[in-house]
Amino acid sequence: MDAINTLAAPPLARSRVRPGRRRADAMLRGFCAFATLIGVIVLGSILLMLIVEGIRGFTPTLLTQPTPGPGSEGGGIANAVLGSLILTAIGIVIATPVGVMAGTFLAEYGRTSKLAVLIRFLNDILLSAPSILIGLFVYTLMVRPMGSYSGWAGGVALAIIATPVIVRTTEDMLSLVPGTLREAGAALGAPPSMVIMKVSWRAASAGIVTGIILALARIAGETAPLLFTALNNNSWFNADLMGGVPNLPVMIYQFALSPYPNWQQLAWAGALLITVTILALSVIARLVIKPQRAR
Amino acid sequence: MSNAAATAAAEPLIHPSAKAGADTKAPVRIAVKGLNFYYGQFHGLKNIDLNFHDRQVTALIGPSGCGKSTLLRTFNRIYSLYPEQRAEGQILLDGVNILDPKVDLNDLRARVGMVFQKPTPFPMSIYDNVAFGIRLYEKLPKAELDERVESSLRKAALWDEVKDKLKQSGMGLSGGQQQRLCIARTVAQRPEVILFDEPTSALDPISTGRIEELIEQLRDEFTIAIVTHNMQQAARISQFTAFMYLGELVEFSQTERMFMNPTQQRTQDYITGRFG
Repeated sequence: MDAINTLAAPPLARSRVRPGRRRADAMLRGFCAFATLIGVIVLGSILLMLIVEGIRGFTPTLLTQPTPGPGSEGGGIANAVLGSLILTAIGIVIATPVGVMAGTFLAEYGRTSKLAVLIRFLNDILLSAPSILIGLFVYTLMVRPMGSYSGWAGGVALAIIATPVIVRTTEDMLSLVPGTLREAGAALGAPPSMVIMKVSWRAASAGIVTGIILALARIAGETAPLLFTALNNNSWFNADLMGGVPNLPVMIYQFALSPYPNWQQLAWAGALLITVTILALSVIARLVIKPQRAR
Repeated sequence: MSNAAATAAAEPLIHPSAKAGADTKAPVRIAVKGLNFYYGQFHGLKNIDLNFHDRQVTALIGPSGCGKSTLLRTFNRIYSLYPEQRAEGQILLDGVNILDPKVDLNDLRARVGMVFQKPTPFPMSIYDNVAFGIRLYEKLPKAELDERVESSLRKAALWDEVKDKLKQSGMGLSGGQQQRLCIARTVAQRPEVILFDEPTSALDPISTGRIEELIEQLRDEFTIAIVTHNMQQAARISQFTAFMYLGELVEFSQTERMFMNPTQQRTQDYITGRFG
């Protein structure tokens, strides 16, 4: 009779889980929640501070006028915004074909060959290389021989930073394409190049595009590689991009350290602008991936 | 072990609707002679001799790892995607040895189509999926291509379900529909031989039934080789059956005879479910 009762309604008080386990579970959960909270607070306070300080700098002339002279009032950051757009565009236009092709080589042709293993290793090093080194490298490679800082050198430095990101994501996304899909293409008589272009790339397209957008977000905020290459310039830049080309990160760096309140205010506004842009890029990257998952 | 017991067990395997028996006089389309296959050091197929008859369904059965898929994958040399795999011996397709390195692989694969275990629709529209194989070889005017796509989808018994959504992605179809799309894609190339590698093992019974009916119809036009784990399926749809075990061909005969009256003890043990 007792046995039947126990079966029908097991008494909750006599739980079979050892008390130690419950304690361990509660502790781990507490640690995780605490760690998450720290991360969110840090991120939240950065954003909050940026908004509070930066929003005041959003004057009507912010995006129409170039940076003002030292100590003067008004002005904007139009030259730095346009410069940043151009530098980032040069960087991503160079990095995308190189990165996608190299990633495709690693995933489709090289796979486990010695050359592919070596390239993968070098790419991982490049991925974590200090960006100031890349700035110095391009300085020696382009700025010194050409005798001038230039937007081209800045763009190349940004491209070198974006390329390994794109190589990595392209390879990762292509290796997620099932091998049977490639076999099916080959079984129809399609040569490897056709299978890659018509089947593998298509199947991995959302992931590859996401990688490119994330690389874009990454280089949009880079400062160090530009210090030795594009430098900065407190007025409009030359159409041939020779000489210093103003850009948001270096502008923020210089203006924030300056003693002039107007420049400091513009630095805050620039920082807010760049953060919002990168945030938007990340959100777009997520949206690109989503419809694929839903299917 | 009495033959009577084996027969009793095997008898229900023969589906009442199974088509008339094997046509043993049908010409040989594929002749396998002294075929050996290696995965690196591993000897996967050992001295296989086997004939596939024109417009007949030949089933390859045997326990997992016996080499039946390996054998199937030699007929379009799809194994050559993997450098460590190699085949030795002869496979004559209409008298020409397809293992000869001089044979053009793309040409071979247009003549010998393949349908895989898991449906493999390409990430493109239903129409483009079917047109993919055609476009590789022929440059057809739009109207003619449309016609070819439609007739291929009809042959794959899929037309009525997709005719209003040809522009939609092939990935949105159900598993059974995807598999018929893959069959349509293969048929569209007008191959002579179609290889099926366990085409229904990822499908539900109703979709399986449709694919089986379809294979039955495709036999009018194509020579078919099918690998299957399902002995009832082999009995239902094939005219010839080859039983393989540990990389060797144990027995090959007309399907009916194979299931009613196998000559080898190992065949009998397998089809009566004693191992495998």
